[in-house]
Amino acid sequence: MNDQHEPADHILTTRGLNHYFGERQVLTDIQLEIQRGTRHAIIGPNGAGKTTLFNTITGKYKPKSGRIFFKGKDVTGFKPDKLARMGLGRSFQINSTFAGLSTFQNLRMAILARRKIRFNFFRFLDKIKSVTTETDAFLRRIGLAAERNLPAGLLSYGKHRCLELSLAMAVDPELVLLDEPAAGMSREETHKMVELIRELTQGKSVIIIEHDMDVVFSLADRITVLHHGEILATGSPSEIKSNQEVKDAYLGEAEVGNAA
Amino acid sequence: MKRQFGKWCAWAMILGGLYMAPRVLGVFELNVLLGTAIFALFSLSLNLLLSFTGLLSFGHAMFFAAGAYGTVLVLTRLSGFPLLPLIGIGAAAAIGLALLLSPLLVRVSGHAFAMLTMAFSQIMYATVMKLSHITGGNDGISGFAIPSVSIPVVGVVDMALEQNFYYFAISILGLSAWVMWFFTRTPFGSIMVGIRDNPERVTYLGFSVPLSKAIILCVSAGFAGVAGSIYALFQNMVSVDGVLGPLSSFSPLINCFIGGLGTFIGPIFGTGIGTILLELMSAHPEQAQLVFSLVLIAIVLFLPGGVIMLYWKANTRWMAVRQNIQNRFFKRRIYE
Repeated sequence: MNDQHEPADHILTTRGLNHYFGERQVLTDIQLEIQRGTRHAIIGPNGAGKTTLFNTITGKYKPKSGRIFFKGKDVTGFKPDKLARMGLGRSFQINSTFAGLSTFQNLRMAILARRKIRFNFFRFLDKIKSVTTETDAFLRRIGLAAERNLPAGLLSYGKHRCLELSLAMAVDPELVLLDEPAAGMSREETHKMVELIRELTQGKSVIIIEHDMDVVFSLADRITVLHHGEILATGSPSEIKSNQEVKDAYLGEAEVGNAA
Repeated sequence: MKRQFGKWCAWAMILGGLYMAPRVLGVFELNVLLGTAIFALFSLSLNLLLSFTGLLSFGHAMFFAAGAYGTVLVLTRLSGFPLLPLIGIGAAAAIGLALLLSPLLVRVSGHAFAMLTMAFSQIMYATVMKLSHITGGNDGISGFAIPSVSIPVVGVVDMALEQNFYYFAISILGLSAWVMWFFTRTPFGSIMVGIRDNPERVTYLGFSVPLSKAIILCVSAGFAGVAGSIYALFQNMVSVDGVLGPLSSFSPLINCFIGGLGTFIGPIFGTGIGTILLELMSAHPEQAQLVFSLVLIAIVLFLPGGVIMLYWKANTRWMAVRQNIQNRFFKRRIYE
């Protein structure tokens, strides 16, 4: 199976993924094909299995059956850190930063990962100028320069959310999985977040879980609808909007009207 | 600039004090000082796990003991073995033990880690007792001579002299402490703190948490081994209850708590205060434990950040006072 290569324009492919929690099947025969350089949204009601799918793709869970191909290589069963080193990044639905460390120190960790500085025991970190410069440049880029020395745990929710996204993006992944980046944000904050996502994910492949349909329709090139752990439909935003099955299962008429 | 100057002054005072100690202090006081330094290094090595990686070890004494037994066994079996490599053997023995246990230890954290380390140190206790034909069991091994060291230019230095051994030991201990401090400031040191705060995120950034933990465990064990090795030479004996008893694992933990968790330097203060307390109470050994416990309770209740917090608080207050004086006498207004 290992020599089975996937088309080069697909950065990620899953073949017949099944996953169970105990007896309960949470993912059923998931077939995904993510085109290189596109933003692919996964939508679906709560409990549809979206986050479980992320956890399976990133190697936190091993699927009961099925295969995952990343950059044409069979990576089924690979651990998250190995996948991260191969260029698969991920952000979390619930902020998962280093709360006790400053914003700068948080981001510096990601910059270390980006520059592949892992087992360096022989230099003062503070004296590695290039790392400090790059971290500060990234802080300015995401608009958190003023909060440089503030512990991440003391950031306002919106800014904390922004740091959460940036931790994933600063590693410079080829494919990044964003788990509800705009969750719990106000209209205005959501708008800023969409702009930031657009800016930071330029030229990268993205899979994004999102409940906010404005975000989904303004960002996504393709959409997959997940329902009870199964793929209901995959298509372009306009195809999904006009899909009757999807409307019945998930999108209320009002919501679609709103977004359009 | 001013800060730098103050820092250098503090360092000069500490080094000068350590250098002058044998001339000023009597043999007894010198021994207390060296004993404190040894346990300070042991506590620092534990603190690497506790404060920097967030791992609570209840069995750190096994690495201390591995260092002590490693050094003594080689010293008594191979005559003519030089002193410095003997300490290296102590460290290597402890690192070897850490490597042996790491496949299990790096996969757990929290309560499981605490219980596993405790269990392994119990196993080691039983093993050392069982192998009494090698380890001397309960009586331990004692009465060995510390080999002399020949240094070019200076000549042969007799380590049986308290003063000479003091200089030798304090240099190794100080150097070890500095290396450990350096370790926390490297890129890897920042990953170590990341593992403490959020191991899952560290994983998703692409760092291998188990492998990193194994390295930290080896470093921590190695320095505990150095402390144990010097302790055995200093005491001129090694015994099960001396290096592997329950108190051997808990006293560095208590030192870390007294000194203050989350700082590098805290355990040194904690060990110093612990030693001073025990020495003050040495006339009444029955009450010593009670007083010690009361102090521990008081610190946990009223000074949860440890003794080091007193310094920070005093420092902050002093800054405020200084600002106040400057404002009043020099008519400086910062908010104008």
